[in-house]
Formats: sequence, structure tokens, C-alpha cells
Amino acid sequence: MVKLDQINISNDGLTKFFSPIEAAILRALWSEGEMTTSELTGKTNIPLTSVAGTLDRLVKAGYTTRRTENINGRVRYVYEPVLSEEEAASEITTKILDSLVQAFGPLAVENFSKYSDKK
Amino acid sequence: MFGEITCYGQCLRSWAPIVALIVIMSIASITASLMLKNPKKRLLMFGFAQAGGLFAIATTFYLMDCTEMLSLYLYFAYVAISTFLIFGTLRYYDRLMIRRLEAKPAGSILKWTQEYVDMLISARVYYFDSAVPKAFAAGRSIFISIGLLEILDDDELKAVLAHEAWHIRNNSRIPFLSRLAMMAFSSTSEPELEDKADNFAAEIAGSAALSSARNKIDKVFI
Repeated sequence: MVKLDQINISNDGLTKFFSPIEAAILRALWSEGEMTTSELTGKTNIPLTSVAGTLDRLVKAGYTTRRTENINGRVRYVYEPVLSEEEAASEITTKILDSLVQAFGPLAVENFSKYSDKK
Repeated sequence: MFGEITCYGQCLRSWAPIVALIVIMSIASITASLMLKNPKKRLLMFGFAQAGGLFAIATTFYLMDCTEMLSLYLYFAYVAISTFLIFGTLRYYDRLMIRRLEAKPAGSILKWTQEYVDMLISARVYYFDSAVPKAFAAGRSIFISIGLLEILDDDELKAVLAHEAWHIRNNSRIPFLSRLAMMAFSSTSEPELEDKADNFAAEIAGSAALSSARNKIDKVFI
């Protein structure tokens, strides 16, 4: 889910935090920067019918912004990621650590230091 | 409360069952309007229920032998005010949609769309921010999403605009109450309306443009 209210630990990669389509769109935007809708459907290989609603949701949730451009009488959206991959990773990590501390208090913090010692 | 109902029954004499029937129909329409998902149909059904209530009150007034029933006057005032509100909402449904979708005049982003519709009927064209290709008509306005502008070429967009323009023209031709009754009672008339709108669109913008637009956004625009 876009709002990070649901985390599926057993899923792979970004789909732990996002739906497969959301993850594909974000990965494409992180690698390309600015993209139009048709570039996005081409790059992700997902049909417009599935991508369109997801793009609306990503914009509403604040993960991407878009602007409209009028090029030679053709109106199109240009999408841009709001956060870079690093910024998104740090935001997600902070949110998860916060929720762990909220649930387990000092125990969680103790485990963080054990974890970083091991690494 | 119950005493008052039997009192109405006595005042109305043999007409009581008919008034009761109208009241039951009106209540049934309100129930139906609560169950309908489509907001426009819901509103129409509610409007129909209000009209039924109004009719029941008028019949009661006309047929009744007794006078001085304050609760009846109060209810009459309620029905009159709420009917006015409902009809007002229907008339200004497009203004509500403009605010809800934060729609802007389409002429500002694609000048020819407004000029094209001006040739067909007097209606405003608005665009709204969504990647999902969608077009619909409400009141005297046509709404198109940016997603629709993205995937259609000019000829296909003309076919869609002509289709929606036909709906507006058709709506203004049918008297309000029969439109209300038609939308409330028959579900079969809608595909028929869509066919007629398509015929008009094919005539104006060409059937090739219409069918390629249909292929691109099958069943997305109504």
C-alpha cells in the first residue's frame, strides 16, 4: 500500500511496502527521472488500464508529482518522483524503526545495536 | 401518532387506500434510492420519492373533509422545501462536480475542444486531473480527464465530445419529470441512449474515429 500502513514481510523487495504496480512505477521513475505516461507503460510493460489508477494514487499519496505539458497540440502528463530512492529508503526505515520502538521500547533499541554490531 | 393516522383515514374516507398507496410508493423509492450505488441515479430516485410525497400531500388536501391539521401543514412545508433543494441540486449538478474534481475550462489547455462543442450545443467543456481516461456529461457541462486527452487523437476526441454533447442536447429536450421517471424506472433505456449518442457522434465525427476511440477506452466513457 502506498501509505505504508501495511507491510508484507514475506514479499520480495519493494513489494513489501508497495503493490507490484506501484513498485514497478517507482523503480522506473527512480532510474529515469522524468517520464510521460506512455514511457511508463512502455518501460514497465503494464497496460494503461492498470497503470492509470495507480498513478493517480501515487500522486495523491505524495510519492510522485506530475505536470501537464502541451506539446504540438498533444496534452500529456510528465511524472517525477518526489523522493529519491535513498530518501524513500530512509523514510520507510525510519517509519518501521519508530513502530518497532513504539511496540517494544528499550528492547527494540537494544536489538538495533546488536544488529548493527553483527553487520 | 397512530390516532392521527386513523383520523386521516376517516377524513379521506374511501380515498384513503389510494393515498396510502402513493405514500408506500414514495417510501419504496426512498429505500431504492438508498440502495442504488450510482450517485446520479440515487439522486434521481430520491427526487422521484419527493415528487411522490408532494403528490400524496396534494391529493390529501384536495380530497380531505377535515381541516386544521398542523402536522400536515408542517410536512407539506418540509416536502416543498426539500423538493426545491433536490431539483436545485440536479440543475446545478455540474457545479458540484466542478468543485469536487477541481475541474478547469478545457479551452485553457486545448483551445479547439471548447470551440468544437460550441458548434454543436451551448455547453462548457472542463478537464480534470486524472490519468484514468474518462468522459461524462452533467448539467450543461462536459468533463474530460487528462488521461483521456493523452490517449485519444483529435478525431477520436471529437467523437467523444460529440457523444457527450448529444447527451446534453437530449437531456434538455426531454421534460424534467419524464426524464426523472425514465431514469428511475427503466434500466433498458440507457444502452438505447448510448446507441443514439454514438449514432450522433459517428455522424458528426465519423464512424472510424468513434470506433477507434471506443476501442481505446471501451466502456470508460458513458
